[in-house]
Amino acid sequence: MKVAVVVQRYGADINGGAELHARYIAEHLARHTEVEVLTTCARDYVTWRNELPAGVEKIGGVTVRRFPVARARDVHDFGRRSTAVFTRTHSLSDELAWLESEGPTSHALVKHVASAADAYDWFVFFSYRYYHAFHGVRAAASRAVLVPTAERDAAIGLAIFPPIFRGVRALMFNSFEERAMIQHVAGAGDLPGVVVGVGSDIPARPEPDRFRQQSGITGPFAIYVGRIDENKGCKELFEYFRRYARTMPGGLQLVLVGTAILPVPADPRIRHLGFLSDTEKFDAMAAADVLIMPSYYESLSMVALEAWGMGKPVLANGRCDVLKGQCLRSNAGLYYESYAEFADALYSIASSASLSQGLGRNGRAYFERHYAWPVIERKYLDVFSQLSARGASAAPAVEPLPGFFARRARTVPAAEDVLGRVPAGAVRP
Amino acid sequence: MAEFNVRADEVNVEQIMHQIRARIREKRGVDYTEEQIQELAKIKLEKFLDPRGLRSDLLEQFQRAAAKDLPPTYEFDDQTLIRSGNPLVAFIRRLLQPVLKLFFSPNPLVQALHYQTQINRYLLERAARDVLVYEVMHNLVVEMTRTGIEVKNMTMRVESIAGRLDFNERRARALEAVVQYKPEGREEHGAPRGGRGFAAEGQGGRGFAAEGASRGDQAGRASGAEGQGGAPSPRGDQGPSAVDPVTGGESLRSRRRRRRRGRRSGPGFTGEGRETRDEGRGTDEGRRTGDEGRRRGDEARRTGDEARRTGNEGPGENVLEHRSRGDDQEQRPAEANGQVEAASERASQPDTPTEAPASEPDQS
Repeated sequence: MKVAVVVQRYGADINGGAELHARYIAEHLARHTEVEVLTTCARDYVTWRNELPAGVEKIGGVTVRRFPVARARDVHDFGRRSTAVFTRTHSLSDELAWLESEGPTSHALVKHVASAADAYDWFVFFSYRYYHAFHGVRAAASRAVLVPTAERDAAIGLAIFPPIFRGVRALMFNSFEERAMIQHVAGAGDLPGVVVGVGSDIPARPEPDRFRQQSGITGPFAIYVGRIDENKGCKELFEYFRRYARTMPGGLQLVLVGTAILPVPADPRIRHLGFLSDTEKFDAMAAADVLIMPSYYESLSMVALEAWGMGKPVLANGRCDVLKGQCLRSNAGLYYESYAEFADALYSIASSASLSQGLGRNGRAYFERHYAWPVIERKYLDVFSQLSARGASAAPAVEPLPGFFARRARTVPAAEDVLGRVPAGAVRP
Repeated sequence: MAEFNVRADEVNVEQIMHQIRARIREKRGVDYTEEQIQELAKIKLEKFLDPRGLRSDLLEQFQRAAAKDLPPTYEFDDQTLIRSGNPLVAFIRRLLQPVLKLFFSPNPLVQALHYQTQINRYLLERAARDVLVYEVMHNLVVEMTRTGIEVKNMTMRVESIAGRLDFNERRARALEAVVQYKPEGREEHGAPRGGRGFAAEGQGGRGFAAEGASRGDQAGRASGAEGQGGAPSPRGDQGPSAVDPVTGGESLRSRRRRRRRGRRSGPGFTGEGRETRDEGRGTDEGRRTGDEGRRRGDEARRTGDEARRTGNEGPGENVLEHRSRGDDQEQRPAEANGQVEAASERASQPDTPTEAPASEPDQS
């Protein structure tokens, strides 16, 4: 069996959520079957400029085939088109133009998928919203498995995507909330697929003392790992934590790990350590008392899963359905939707060792039950074998795009309106 | 803040969140829902934090608008009807004006239209001023809303601080009681004072002395007060230092002294004290000294009874005074013990944030 993992960017130093997810899946599937990664020459997800050489290379033991991007993204054009399709009634043609504008527009990649479709048994496409996934699925629908990595943002309300969701052979969801959302927008009650997620290679023996020695951090602390960005809820986190710190002198510190796009406030209780290697990151997480995940939009928080895998409790933003759902299903994390809840929940975890340990134990069990690599690998392989058993005849066809005039009819509702009608909330266990 | 004490298999996040939310509701009260507070906070942010939304030169503009002449909508006077850009046309019109007046009188029309221009101008000025007045009123209303929230906020803060103050006072009292006791114990062990019954206890067993002292404290003080009724009053020793200059209450020294007295005589009269002494494995000399203490206590009681009977001041008064103090002391340790437990329990934990966070309405 030969599997192609198709993703917008790929590299050992590329740490975007979906890209990292794709790399982990490719490397772990490569232990069981032949895997090839099809990707672009882009490194920057904002411009999609060609920065890496086209051609074939090996990364982590996996063959990677890169294709050039036809044109870099025009940020202003993309912004204008996004406003048009997200907020106003528009046409399918507008949405297709939006998709072109978003990129990464790699005609060569799509052409390769179409021409070499028979060379692969399965194509695993990552991130439904990008050019490569939309056109790639259309080029090889009978062998397409989609990992949507969908968040609750306006793009999910665009009319071009439901045929894609209905047309692939299987969907590998990251969470139950994502599945419910996609099933709703696709208008299909039972899409073929399974909730899988992704695992993580957690070291067996992290060394928290080493981290404390290196960083000079003493005392209890909460940790945030990820890009320090307003979109990730960090601005709200800073505001809440500083208020909390004022009312709790001598309590927890907040340690930030990751690249800062948002300025980190100068506060003696907030420490920014910058980007850390995986070893240092796991040491830091092992030394922490609690992981805080303030993000509003997540399809799956790998960091939260890693914290659970290490037996650490998580305090998550309850306005993110996925995080809230995971906290409820795992019984391993608390969540907040206001400052008062943030303060009370954080204090409860920090002050009650039994609660903290109980949450941590539940988290570890949840991780091992659902997100350990053997479990993830088995789910992927099972899906492939089931699809193979059904044969290509069972493959649904992707609905063709409407004709010239229908495509230009301005009757498609604003994506935000569509999103507003999608049921929200965590999926209860 | 409630303490969570759970086993792993018992952790129910939904239930914990329910408890947290219930606590928050309880503290915040039910006057405002979360949505209402958000809405009110949004008004404040929009109008008061966004510099574009707030006209800082409002008053200046208001004054300027009042003084400024707005451009007229149109002018109408007696020459308007015959005025022309062409001097020849204007001349002919003026020439024919008397002929026109033969047909109708234009003067009332001219006058009416002239008044109308003035009315129009006044209305325009009024309208411009009304916009400013409306803005002032709007800002006042918003400011009133903000002030209302602030008042509510401050009220809750005051309640919170009052609660904390009360707690701190109780903790201070409890800790004070603990601090008073410890040096006393060391003093007793280190320098036993012979002959008052407790010397034997002090020498007998250090391990039990503290226990004996704490357990026998209440009873010892009560009986000690009784037993020392006839003993010379220590009042003269206390003098002004008996009053704490800061609190206005009893000084530490006087309390120590009273407790010491209670302890000296206490074990001699109470079963508990005796038990403590036995636990302390007192020496014969100690026992003898204890007997001596009991004997003196009996004498003192007799003297006290005598004094009460005769209505004498001095020893008799001391009896009553000590008895009442003894009662007081009897209650205090009991209260203090509970407080010490509570205080030590709390002291091992960081300060609870429940008061403070809840005292501020969420403005996110």
